[in-house]
Amino acid sequence: MNVEEIAFVALAITAVLTGIAALLVRDLVHTILWIAIFFIDLSAIYFLLDAPFLGVLQLGVYAGAVTILLLFGIMTTRKRIFSREAATGIGPVSFGLAVVTFIFVVAALGELPQGATTISSYDPAALSANLFNVNGPWLLLLGLIMLTAVGGAIYLVREGRE
Amino acid sequence: MTALPEVGFVALAASLLAVGIFGILTRRNFILLLVSIEIAMNATILNFVYFAAFSSGTAGLTGQSIAVVLVGFAAVEVAVGLGIVLALNRVKGTINVARATELKL
Repeated sequence: MNVEEIAFVALAITAVLTGIAALLVRDLVHTILWIAIFFIDLSAIYFLLDAPFLGVLQLGVYAGAVTILLLFGIMTTRKRIFSREAATGIGPVSFGLAVVTFIFVVAALGELPQGATTISSYDPAALSANLFNVNGPWLLLLGLIMLTAVGGAIYLVREGRE
Repeated sequence: MTALPEVGFVALAASLLAVGIFGILTRRNFILLLVSIEIAMNATILNFVYFAAFSSGTAGLTGQSIAVVLVGFAAVEVAVGLGIVLALNRVKGTINVARATELKL
């Protein structure tokens, strides 16, 4: 195994473990801390895939903005921000279903080609040209949806509404 | 130019999607639901980035562009979701989605 492969395996295991930890811990603030590590970990995977622009975007939008937004959501809806949630009740049926799904996924992965893929790197200038020229309408659509979402969010949280 | 295992990325994305679906099905707190949706959405974005890196030429660039747009969509979804959290908390006094039953028959 070369250095990149070892780094990928370490980052992948960390991503899955932090994702599970974020959902299983009982303090909501600890959930946010775990999910922040998860986002930073995925950003490192993007850097490993030679996609530095997306890596920085992941750090800024997810690890920065989304994490702080979720933290504000907890702060404004709780008297004590370290209050605990009820534990997850995982019954035998859901556990059996999870085991069956896991066996199915492992069997399906065995059908995939087992070789190593050479990752192609892209010039950020070429990416920005593609993003703003060829895929420009998608960006305009995103802007329109963001504007609508801002209006919707303001409508939801405004005063005097029951 | 680096070489990485193909099956590893698909396995990682599938595992993250499974973790997200597990959270959506088992948790009742709205913020934990949002976190679960974010984990599942990150699995999707990871697939786009990986297959973009796997492809060469314009197809790869388009994959990364779609991933950029998806990150924007995810941020929008969290903003509206937190608006719903605040509204639910004001009306019900809790953010437990099991208590939001107004639209049930």
